[in-house]
Amino acid sequence: MSKADNKRSIILGIFVLVGIGILFAAIFTLGGQQNRFAKKVEIKAVFDNVEGLKTGNNIWFSGVKIGIVKAVHFRDDRKVELVLGIDDKSHEYIRKNSTAKIGSDGLIGNKIIVIEGGSTDVPPVESGDELRTLKGTDTEKMMSTLQVNNENLVGITENIRQLSQKVLRGEGTIGAALTDSIMANNMRTMMASLTQAATNTNKVTAALANFTAKLNTQGSLANELLTDTVVYSNLRAAVAQLQGVTQTASALTTNLGQASEKLNTSLSSPDNTLGLLLSDKATATTIKQTMVNLEASTAKLDENMEALQHNFLLRGFFKKRDKEAAKAKEAEEKAQQ
Amino acid sequence: MALDKIKRMFIELANIARFVGRFFKELFNPPFEFKEIIRQCYEVGWKSLPLISLTGFVVGFVFTNQSRPSLQEFGATSWLPALISIAIIRALAPLVTALISAGKVGSNIGAELGSMNVTEQIDAMEVSGTNPFKFLVVSRVIATTFMIPILTFYSAFVGLLGGFLNINQNENTSFLSYFYEVFDAVDFLDLFAMGFRSIIFGFTIGIVGCYQGYHSSKGTEGVGRAANWSVVMSMFLIFVEELLIVQILQGLRV
Repeated sequence: MSKADNKRSIILGIFVLVGIGILFAAIFTLGGQQNRFAKKVEIKAVFDNVEGLKTGNNIWFSGVKIGIVKAVHFRDDRKVELVLGIDDKSHEYIRKNSTAKIGSDGLIGNKIIVIEGGSTDVPPVESGDELRTLKGTDTEKMMSTLQVNNENLVGITENIRQLSQKVLRGEGTIGAALTDSIMANNMRTMMASLTQAATNTNKVTAALANFTAKLNTQGSLANELLTDTVVYSNLRAAVAQLQGVTQTASALTTNLGQASEKLNTSLSSPDNTLGLLLSDKATATTIKQTMVNLEASTAKLDENMEALQHNFLLRGFFKKRDKEAAKAKEAEEKAQQ
Repeated sequence: MALDKIKRMFIELANIARFVGRFFKELFNPPFEFKEIIRQCYEVGWKSLPLISLTGFVVGFVFTNQSRPSLQEFGATSWLPALISIAIIRALAPLVTALISAGKVGSNIGAELGSMNVTEQIDAMEVSGTNPFKFLVVSRVIATTFMIPILTFYSAFVGLLGGFLNINQNENTSFLSYFYEVFDAVDFLDLFAMGFRSIIFGFTIGIVGCYQGYHSSKGTEGVGRAANWSVVMSMFLIFVEELLIVQILQGLRV
C-alpha cells in the first residue's frame, strides 16, 4: 500500500464515521426526545370521538409531555379505545381517578391527550388501567357559535354603513345638522337667543323669588289674603256691604239734590213763609217793627215781674228757695273737707 | 423506421437488464477489489463533500427564507423549524444530494468509462487478466451506493444548520429549541426513509453512469454522449424513484 493510499483510506474512514455519526446522533436525539426507548406504562382510555387523534400524538399532564398515544382502535361497541404509553418515571403522578380528555396544542395545532385531576389518596395508575374520559372543547361547536357572531357583526356593520351614508348625504336630522351650513348658522343664532332668554329667565326667577319671599312674610295682607280663608270671606262680605252703601249713598244724594232744588225754588218764591222772610222787603220792615215792639213789651214785662216778686203773695216762695241753696252749699263744703 | 426504433429500444432494455444482472453476479463473486472500492469511495464521497455541503447549506437557508412569508400570514413562524425539518429530511436532502452527485459523479463515471472504452483500455484490461467489470463497474457502483447516503446525512445536517442560521437571524430561536422543534416534527420512519432512498439514488447514479460509459459508441462523440446521458438518465430515474418511494411511504405511514 502506498502512502497516498493510506492517507486516502484514513480520510475516507473519518468521512464515513462522521457521516454515520450524524445518523446515529439523529436517531438518538429523536429517540430520546420522543421517549421511544424509555419504559412505558400502558393505560387505556375510551372515547366516543377522538377528533383525528393519531398514534404518536403527545400526552400532557399539567402541561408536561409524559408520553405518547401508542394505539388507536375501535372496540366492539364502536367506541374508540386508545392505548396511552405513559413514561415510567411520570406514571406515579397520575392517579387512578384522573381524567383524560382530547385537547389541542393550539387552535389549529395537533391533537393531544390531556390528563387532569386525580387525588393523592388514590393509588397511582398501573398497566392496563382505564382512565375516565371527559368531552373536550368541540372546535366545530365553537366555530358554529363564532359563525353566528360573525353574521350578527355583518348585520351590525351593514346598518352602521347605511346610517353613515345617510349622514353623509345629509338625510335626516343628524345628517342635516352635520352638513347644512345655513342650519348651523340658524342654530348658532338660536343658541345665542336661547342664552339671552336664559339670562332673562334667570333675572325673572330671581325677582319672583324675591316676591314670593315677601308674600311669605307672616302677617302681611298679601300673605293673609293668600293663606287665611276667613279674611277672604270677610273681605267679600265687606265689599258687598260697601256696594250696598254706595248704592244707598247714591240714592241719598239724589234725594238731597231733589230736596235742595225744592228748597231753592221755594226759597226764591214769596209764596211761602221762608221765601217771604228771605226775599220780601216789606215783610222784613214789618218784622223789624215787630221786633222793636217785642223789645219794648219785654222791658215792660220785666218791670211787671219785679213788681210781682215783691208782692206778698209770692215773697215766701223766694225766701224759701234762697235758704235751700245756702244749705246745699254748706253740705258740699263739708264733703270736701 | 419506427419499428426499427422500437426494436432498438427493447435491445437496449435487455442490455440494461443483463448489465444489472451481471453487476449482482460479480458483486458476490470473489476476488474483491477492496483497494479500488476505497479509492472510488474517496473520489465519490470525499471529493463531493465541499460541493454537497455548500448546496445543502444554501438550500436550507433559502428554503427557510422563502417559506417564512406563507407562515407569517398565519402568524405561525414558530412552526418554521418543523417545516424545515420535514422538508429537508423527507425530501430535500436526499434529492438535492442525489441530483448534485448525478451531475458531478455520474458524468465523471460516464466520461471515464466511455473514454476507456474508446481507447480500448477495457479490452486491454481483459487481456491482462483483470476482470474489467469487477474492477471498473462493481467498485464504482458500490462506492456511489454507500457514499450518497452518507453525503445525504451531511447535507441534511448542513441544511438544517442553514435553516437554523436564517431562523436565528429572524426569530432569535436558540440552537437547542430549534433542534428540539426539528426532531419533534419527524420520526424514525422519516429518518430511515431518507437513508433508504439515498441508497437507491446512489445505486442508480452508479449503475447508469457505468452502463453509459461501458456501452458507449466508439469515437470522441461517444464519450460526450455517455457523460451527458448518464446525467440525464440518472436524474430522470431519481425523480421516478422518488415518486414511487413517496407512494410506498404514504402507505406505510397510515
